[in-house]
Amino acid sequence: MNTSYILRRLFYGLLLMLGVVVLNFLLIRMAPGDPAVVIAGEMGGATEEMLESIREEYGLNKPLLVQLGIYIGDIARFDLGESFFFNQPVTHLIGLRIGPTILLVVTAQLLSIVLGVFLGVIAARKPNGIMSAFVSVFATIGYAVPVFWTGIMLIILFASIVPIFPVEGMQSVRLRDANVFVKALDILHHLVLPAFTLAIIYLAQYARLSRASMLEVLGSDYIRTARAKGASEKSVLFKHALRNAALPILTVAGLQFGNLISGALLVETVFNWPGMGRLAFDSILRRDYPTIMGVLFFASFMVVIANILTDLSYRLADPRLRGR
Amino acid sequence: MSALLEIDDLRVTFGTRYGEVTALDSVSLHVDAGETLGVVGESGCGKSITALSVMGLIPQPPGKIAGGSIRLNGEELIGANPARLRGLRGGDVAMIFQEPMTSLNPVFTVGDQIAEAIMLHQNVDKAQALKDAIALLDRVGIPSPDARARDYPHQLSGGMRQRVMIAMAVSCRPKVLIADEPTTALDVTVQAQIFDLLNEIQRDFGAAIVLITHDMGAISEMADRVAVMYAGRVIEEASADDVLDYPQHPYARGLIDCIPALGRDDHRLAEIPGVVPPLHLLGAGCAFAERCAHKQDRCGLEKPLLAAHGHHPVACHGIEEGRI
Repeated sequence: MNTSYILRRLFYGLLLMLGVVVLNFLLIRMAPGDPAVVIAGEMGGATEEMLESIREEYGLNKPLLVQLGIYIGDIARFDLGESFFFNQPVTHLIGLRIGPTILLVVTAQLLSIVLGVFLGVIAARKPNGIMSAFVSVFATIGYAVPVFWTGIMLIILFASIVPIFPVEGMQSVRLRDANVFVKALDILHHLVLPAFTLAIIYLAQYARLSRASMLEVLGSDYIRTARAKGASEKSVLFKHALRNAALPILTVAGLQFGNLISGALLVETVFNWPGMGRLAFDSILRRDYPTIMGVLFFASFMVVIANILTDLSYRLADPRLRGR
Repeated sequence: MSALLEIDDLRVTFGTRYGEVTALDSVSLHVDAGETLGVVGESGCGKSITALSVMGLIPQPPGKIAGGSIRLNGEELIGANPARLRGLRGGDVAMIFQEPMTSLNPVFTVGDQIAEAIMLHQNVDKAQALKDAIALLDRVGIPSPDARARDYPHQLSGGMRQRVMIAMAVSCRPKVLIADEPTTALDVTVQAQIFDLLNEIQRDFGAAIVLITHDMGAISEMADRVAVMYAGRVIEEASADDVLDYPQHPYARGLIDCIPALGRDDHRLAEIPGVVPPLHLLGAGCAFAERCAHKQDRCGLEKPLLAAHGHHPVACHGIEEGRI
């Protein structure tokens, strides 16, 4: 893997982000309604004079292109503006919430990949076995069930029937003064249900995909070679086959990352998880443009980063892609 | 004294959608140290199945070893425990496959792949195994073996890859080396080099070679003894010179006639009419009967047995009755 490739890839990522910023800006501005009216409404009624001063203050009276230019310039300085509703800098609002969202999304992603791939490999070992049938059924169900439904069912199950996992929030109030270790455990405990809820669709998908991918790879000549040199079944499956079968899984994992983030929005709402999803939800309801755009910006940023990482890991996994 | 590798009355069946078919029917072969046995026949006649049976690599199911015995140095391999078979595979019995382009794992360097075979069977560390691997690459005639060991399969030509396969196969000084159409996918000039290499390696290591091929040229160059297979049975077996100069079975004669000769002014190549019948359609009689110019009633009713009639062992009613 060479540095020039990484730099080139980062440059494309930057261009992509610029495109996202422009699109976000234009889409939001095209939505009907006057933000000045909304802000004035929050302040409790408005005169024409007040609206004018609000437009002046937020620069809403300038031509659209000038506003866009200013917005891009601000973003370049990591200034996402001031929330109309919260009266705080958007970066501050997002800064408070991005941690929980990243924690949730990354946990769900890892959980779904690791568990999904493991199930897929086991299923591929005996394509006509019970495990294989289980994976197929589980994958179909997991894929068909919407996240909010899974979430609500899990809440019902764990809130009243077997109350072993907390069904709401990220931290217990009573542990506010506990030490870091206890707090971390508490957060992990709270993380179980939202992460599992978010992971289940993708888990099912990865299980199915890795089963198919493994079955294809296991039929290839180099697997026969591996067996012919006396490699153990474990080594054949997890070393020789999985490394090759991982390529399509990586691709899908990269592509799904965006969906995972939008799924996180729903899951955060269901479990009252204090992440960006809640912030997006609240700011959309309140027409809080700077915050919406800030959330969109960060979500796209995470997706672009995830895609760059996917591309790089692809090259790590498959030597045939290197040096191109 | 018994031979190094003895296959005795081996019967292998496969479950297919037409029901159970017999892929190998009482196949008996043997090969001694330092000897090269050629196994010839058209595609689908059971050559590769024979080889895979010795390696213990018949996929079960759908395959099944229904009877017979395979003995290496007197040790029975059929029914031996899997760990013991793994120890033999790549150790005492090694195999070179037909497809050098796809028989190496694309995601590992060739050095690593050879080193893996060494480490599986010898008590050496990775560094030593890699050193041995490089020495082997040198031995099989790969220039600058140090650099090539760090290459991935896609960076090598077909001939180079087959040399790598040979290096891997001989890495643990196998007693029996099975070469399944090792040159089919290669250019003619490269074929000759590979045969030279196999001959040298046999001289150096004293291995028995089982050369599976449909190329009579390869047989004349390499083999000491030849077994001709047809539809899962050995139909003629003798020294290479005898088979090439005095083929008995009508099928063996056909194979020899198919060899194009330079300087022979033929306008058409000889051919054997028809194709090997699908295994599920084999009747009670001689499998070759439908394609045979000397067919008589008995041929369609009764399977001929391999027995010495005149020159050398052959399974043919016509020869037995002295009418061919």
